[in-house]
Amino acid sequence: MPVAPEASADAERALHARFAALVGEKNAIAKPSELRTYECDGLLGYRVRPAVVVLPASTAEVAACVKLARELDMPVVPRGAGTGLSGGALPTEGCVMIGLSRMKKILSIDLPNRVARVQPGVINLDITRALASDGYFYAPDPSSQSVCTIGGNVAENSGGAHCLKYGFTVNHVLGLTIVLPDGEIVELGSRAGEPAPPGYDLVGVVVGSEGMTGIVTEVLVRVLRTAECTRTLFATFPSTDEAGDAVSRIIGSGIVPAAIEMCDALAIEAIVAATGIDWPLDVGALLLMDVDGVLAEADEIAERAEAHLRAAGAIEVRVPKDDAERALAWKGRKAAFAAVGRISPNYHVQDGVIPRKDIAPVLREIAALGAASGLRIANVFHAGDGNLHPLVLYDARVPGQEHEAERVAGEILRVCLRYGGSVTGEHGVGHDKACYLGEQFGPDDLETMQLVRGAFDPERRFNPDKVFPTPRLCGDRPGAYVPHAIELSGEAGRG
Amino acid sequence: MSAVSIAGVAARNVVTPRSVEELARAVGELHAARAPFAFVGGATHLALGNAPRALDTVIRTVALDRVVEYAAEDQTITVEAGMTLAELDRVLAAHGQMLPVDVADRERATVGGVVATNAFGRRRQRYGTVKDLIVGVTIVRPDGTLARGGGKVVKNVAGFDLPKLMTGALGTLGGIASVTFRVHPLPEARRAAALHFDGSDAIARAARAIVEARLEPESVALYNYDALVVSFGGTPRGVEEQMRTLLDRVAPGAGAGAAHELVDDEPESYEQRERAVRRDGDWRFTVAAPPAVPSWTLGSFVAAAPLAVPVAYPLLGVALHAYAALAADAPRQCVELRAHVAAQTDGCGNVTVTAMPDAARGRVDAWGDPPPSLPLMRALKARFDPLALCNPGRFVGGL
Repeated sequence: MPVAPEASADAERALHARFAALVGEKNAIAKPSELRTYECDGLLGYRVRPAVVVLPASTAEVAACVKLARELDMPVVPRGAGTGLSGGALPTEGCVMIGLSRMKKILSIDLPNRVARVQPGVINLDITRALASDGYFYAPDPSSQSVCTIGGNVAENSGGAHCLKYGFTVNHVLGLTIVLPDGEIVELGSRAGEPAPPGYDLVGVVVGSEGMTGIVTEVLVRVLRTAECTRTLFATFPSTDEAGDAVSRIIGSGIVPAAIEMCDALAIEAIVAATGIDWPLDVGALLLMDVDGVLAEADEIAERAEAHLRAAGAIEVRVPKDDAERALAWKGRKAAFAAVGRISPNYHVQDGVIPRKDIAPVLREIAALGAASGLRIANVFHAGDGNLHPLVLYDARVPGQEHEAERVAGEILRVCLRYGGSVTGEHGVGHDKACYLGEQFGPDDLETMQLVRGAFDPERRFNPDKVFPTPRLCGDRPGAYVPHAIELSGEAGRG
Repeated sequence: MSAVSIAGVAARNVVTPRSVEELARAVGELHAARAPFAFVGGATHLALGNAPRALDTVIRTVALDRVVEYAAEDQTITVEAGMTLAELDRVLAAHGQMLPVDVADRERATVGGVVATNAFGRRRQRYGTVKDLIVGVTIVRPDGTLARGGGKVVKNVAGFDLPKLMTGALGTLGGIASVTFRVHPLPEARRAAALHFDGSDAIARAARAIVEARLEPESVALYNYDALVVSFGGTPRGVEEQMRTLLDRVAPGAGAGAAHELVDDEPESYEQRERAVRRDGDWRFTVAAPPAVPSWTLGSFVAAAPLAVPVAYPLLGVALHAYAALAADAPRQCVELRAHVAAQTDGCGNVTVTAMPDAARGRVDAWGDPPPSLPLMRALKARFDPLALCNPGRFVGGL
């Protein structure tokens, strides 16, 4: 077991001195008052104070910190901007937290090879900003893209509204430099945009491994030429039934828009209250959709999508009159979580995924769960991918409400699994959903994933208490056993 | 069942499980008996890689050929590993959909083999590789345990990514029992053109101009060093507009000598011509280079006459070179080709020997120098297959 350093001032000073020798006096933080910032990430409600926080400036400094952590037998938890919503950067008791915020350089942009090499602390949107004047962009666009960092995006395999057409972080990361749990530095994948060398797809394994395989210190990302044109459609519906039906029709017809986002009535109310945007308040749901590509194709697809929207029962279909109006609509969508924060003291967000054909019935089940619990639930999500974001609203000052909200959020994940979905589409399992992973996967599946983890981190030093359900995290309820699909079909049993 | 050889090594036994349960049981029994084994689908890529260090039994997956679940309206399909690409094409086409992975011999090539080899062709330009299309997998580990990773929805970050780990692992970490793909709609309209060039600079200029013009081609493939075949798929008006931009602006701007529209399945016919010249005993190389380096010129370093109609994908940085024969000093030529590619790409390129005469095996490493992450790959192999029973030695660095 890692030894948690005593909170005594002497031990604190000694620990600080060891790490300060590696990263500089002011980049090693061990004073309790200064550690408070690092006690949690975007998953509020859980707080753990790290033993020490270090802010290295280079791959070599990261490696030195990891080696020292190993010498001291301390767990290591990496942190980017701390915007994650699943508690992936929640400290582990007695850990060294490695913050990558000082490694924020775009190292190179290579347009002939359509790649850019960046440090992990670079803010997602800053890559696109650096490319915009040349007519290129970096595709993954999580709603937090103006503050979240690429290192965190890699750890979580972040998505975003436009990954419906363009894919997720893993589809845009070609190469990585990582520091392994033993302090070794290793390069994975492509070095300059060439197809990856033969061998196992370690980049594909590290992306989305939630800081458990290595600490990313350089990322080679693919950059894309911006589309010739983008058409945006905005449609309102009497309820989420018609809006869900519209999404199913569009996807089922073979149209691949760049993005289809849905907001329900409560989310619309929150967004209008927070931003003053002129969305109607007397509707049950709205869809915001982007179609992009070459001009003629975008126009043709937009026309067909509009026909599907109307056939599904849209009250109104609007086309933003200019880029400013279009940007405003998207700003409204991306501000949704913050907006909900203004109509409720607290909320718990979930990230389940379902097949796109089942949006309407699943939203009805979620509404029923809300009604039964007396809690309000707002839905604002990536409908084109079937990636739900139900926000369960509660007031932490009311005894029992926080617990009830967590319970309802968990029940929502079970609904997603019942429809054949996943407990997380882009936020990661982290601390928040570890106990539900055992409901999505059977013991053999989890054991196989642990084989992968063990190859990178045999001592379980990196982000040790995340993702995998353990009795300590989940009590004596490590997740109900879910029979394997193959077992259900009678093709195979265990043994 | 006739004898099966992998990279020149003959198996003593062949078993053909009829179900995923039988597959798991067969692997478990071989594991218990400490008998080395390998998985074979359509047997279209048995020349790929180094000779296995040991091989007792080949497990043919061809009888695992069922559709497990097809959610056409969600654009996902789960199929068993032994289904052929041709059969999958037929199932999907009935619903206006496709798996846009180009491989030779679709009547034989299986889903499991395509995943294990991470096979790709010209439409990688638009749709990516298997890694961009696979969303779930069920594997049989080398000890016979069945395990599942990913899922059947198109977006999913729950748990470690076993589908990607299995893709391109050449069956050295276990066997593939079934796979879930995200599939794509068949384009309503498809058109293509061939641009002819004299000289590599103009070809590179044309490829770059296609990107700069914001075209979104399905494929950009260079055949026989001079014919650049560009294909588009999409809505009729979108395809029409892109064809016009290509023929009226891009081709003349890049200095194409001639440019003309192809009819019907001509783009496929170029590929078929390339495949038609393949012979057992050929030497075949795949050269990967950063896209800005003209990968199709790098093979000219080899002192042998190339076969006609080799293929390159200029925007992807991949070229497939082929030779009917290399002189007796083939191992030295391979070393020199690799050194040449490394020099031309600032150490970023790589050369895979995808086919060689059996006589050359043991003298030429099919994969070249392993990447710096080999220790991690070995650690994965040791965790999944501690007894080294599963296709041992065939992959990179003796994995």
